[in-house]
Amino acid sequence: MVYLEAQKLGRDFPGVRALDEVSITLTLGRVHILAGENGAGKSTLVKLLTGSDTPSQGSIRIDGKDPWQHPEIFETISYVPQELTLFPHLSVAENLFMPFWRSGHGRRVIDRKGMERDAKEYLDRFAIEARPGDLVRQISVPDQQLLQIARASTNRNMKVLILDEPTSALTATEVERVFSVIRDFRKAGLAVIFISHKMDEIFEIGDDYTVLRNGREIETGQIGDCSESELIRAMSGKALKVDDDFRPRGTKTDRVPLLSVRELSGKRFENVSFDLFGGEILGFAGLVGSGRSEVMQTLFGFLRAKSGSAELEGRKWKLGDTSFSVAQGMLYLSEERKHHGILPLLSLRKNIGISILDRTAGRFGISARKESAEVAKVIRDYDIKTDSMGKRISLLSGGNQQKAIIGRAMATSPRVLIFDEPTKGIDVRTKAEIYRIMRDLAERGVAVILISSEMEELRKCASRIITMHAGTTTGEFQTENTTNETLVAAIFGKESASHEA
Amino acid sequence: MKRNPLALIAANPLMGVFIALVIIFAISIAASPHFLTGYNMSVIARALAFVGLITIGQAMLMILGELDLSLGVIGGLCGVVAGMAMTSGGLPPIVAIPACLLLGAMLGALNGLLVSILKLHSLVLTIGTAGVFGGVNLVLTKGVAITGMPPEIQFFGRGEVYGIPVPFIIMLVVLAIAVFITAKTPFGRFMYAIGNNVAAAEMLGIKVNRIRVLVFTMAGLLAALAGLLMVARLGTAQPSIGETWVLAPIAASVIGGVATTGGVGSPLGAIFGASIIAIIENIIVLFGVSPYWQGVVSGVIVVLAISFDSASRRLIRKES
Repeated sequence: MVYLEAQKLGRDFPGVRALDEVSITLTLGRVHILAGENGAGKSTLVKLLTGSDTPSQGSIRIDGKDPWQHPEIFETISYVPQELTLFPHLSVAENLFMPFWRSGHGRRVIDRKGMERDAKEYLDRFAIEARPGDLVRQISVPDQQLLQIARASTNRNMKVLILDEPTSALTATEVERVFSVIRDFRKAGLAVIFISHKMDEIFEIGDDYTVLRNGREIETGQIGDCSESELIRAMSGKALKVDDDFRPRGTKTDRVPLLSVRELSGKRFENVSFDLFGGEILGFAGLVGSGRSEVMQTLFGFLRAKSGSAELEGRKWKLGDTSFSVAQGMLYLSEERKHHGILPLLSLRKNIGISILDRTAGRFGISARKESAEVAKVIRDYDIKTDSMGKRISLLSGGNQQKAIIGRAMATSPRVLIFDEPTKGIDVRTKAEIYRIMRDLAERGVAVILISSEMEELRKCASRIITMHAGTTTGEFQTENTTNETLVAAIFGKESASHEA
Repeated sequence: MKRNPLALIAANPLMGVFIALVIIFAISIAASPHFLTGYNMSVIARALAFVGLITIGQAMLMILGELDLSLGVIGGLCGVVAGMAMTSGGLPPIVAIPACLLLGAMLGALNGLLVSILKLHSLVLTIGTAGVFGGVNLVLTKGVAITGMPPEIQFFGRGEVYGIPVPFIIMLVVLAIAVFITAKTPFGRFMYAIGNNVAAAEMLGIKVNRIRVLVFTMAGLLAALAGLLMVARLGTAQPSIGETWVLAPIAASVIGGVATTGGVGSPLGAIFGASIIAIIENIIVLFGVSPYWQGVVSGVIVVLAISFDSASRRLIRKES
């Protein structure tokens, strides 16, 4: 049964048409995939469907009614954003049932016992390990992600559930938990919109699909009638070879390492040692929480080291000082773009310009002319899509923000570059661009470290892979003569795996 | 293409507060024949000079994402210490004044160091240090004004150059330096970066703690300068100097587009904001409103100005 029907929706912003004649039909009991590259208009469409923004053109009918006449009907649509929007200092149960009157847990006085009892039910259903009384900041990230979905489903009037990349921070087992929940919803007669960049997930869970590109509706149909390569072509506008090899070419036998790390210990990891050579991409594999990001952040100086040492070209490396690391040519690109990457209120120009001030500032201050020229070059080289460099960076799409951050790092001519999950939440085409950038860098002699939880990504890019589990390294492998199984075993802590290599 | 006037304001956030300032100025001219006179202008300029110096320091801290509630008290303490040094201490002004500017800088630096090392919220910390500095002031003066200032310092407080009050000229010079620092130097860019996102700033290799301490130091220095100029103007070192310099500079900065959450705005906007407050307070006096009502009226107008500003900002955001 058709529940929601949107006809020729459009949304204009001055100078840009973010959405142009997009139609979408949601049927109860089906999962609708919304696919498209970053900036294709998915978020704009979702905002219109949830009633948080009004369309410039077109119409929406929900359950046969015009929602602008009956705004209460928007309450049947629940939206789970990609970022975590929980209250970290409140308990799991409180987060689930906020605002309490909606769930009947007290209009004036909160009924804590009843609330925690009811919470248990949701936690079991979603296989969340946390207890109702736990504070959200103390529970694991996957649990938080699932809790967000559980929170949306406490809405008893819910007919449509919109999930915006719910799996980007999850491992395979956790993704399966999300999927079983989605299947339950489907069985219960809900319409689900599922936004994802991961092809295997799309084909596993989807029934219908709509592809957006540059704000237009490109294709719509049933997942069963469509292949992976067709979908990618619809999203990117051109056929793309997905399984390219991005490993840098060049020999690196009998050379001295550029950087060597010895018995480094810090928060959540112990005794990590490795060598890094110029001109290579070294992969770091491990589950979320295995300590791989912490190792790199400690080496970079953002986190405090407990013990251990490192040397760059035989000279002692100063730990715990990011400005030393940057001055020595080491850069760390965090997976947390929002928290560790962009300066949200500043323009794209200032965001990129901040790293090249040594070139643009003279005795009379920063030269706007020089800065504009340098930044324009970065925007061109890294194909950052924006209407002007004066635009606030937080208004750009995620993929373009990522390209801006990478472009900014490149502009400083680094020697060691650490990419932490650089393609998290990034569309297929931009992914390939990022792989290409990493390869080009390595071939120019830069030492690149790639942290990733996607085995495919690591195998595609890295020639050598170090695996981590629970804060220690569990093996080092040459990509060429290692199977996926060996790597997976190593990141799940099967120590014996390293001897097979 | 017809240019949308809102787009012009959006392109330069300073335009909004500048237009508001011009409108209020024009209304004041129309409202009172006593407003646009040389004498009244110099009254406003003089009032603006002192609170303006604090505002510049506070605005720079706010850009960084910090607040210092002890700036007014630092100004008062440095004023009375200078007063004591030049009277009972017998020090010549040429020694006492730089020493007290240094004292202000050190008190500011102390705030910055405590915030950085103890990782405290500056708002909370400076409530504490304001209590300490204000307490030291009272211990030293026992609440009694210090009289008998050397006459040669009065030029800095009461003097005029081409009819323009000297403290106002000093404030303008400081403003020009502050605008240059924030808008044109790497140091200023780093301030905005820290105010935007401390973690990202650190990942870019910016020396966050050093910059934070330096900005607190500058703000303390400016507070001491304001205190000393006030002593020069009054001819006595009043223990109460700086009492009214706490909230007005914050309100002025917010009116001028500096967010309390950091990362945006400019000292110039903050001074426009301070000018709006100074004009409003002046026109209240010209209309002969009872002094007991002045706080109420100026408070209400500040709230209105801030609401107007945030409403127009929302409107701009909707438009774009």
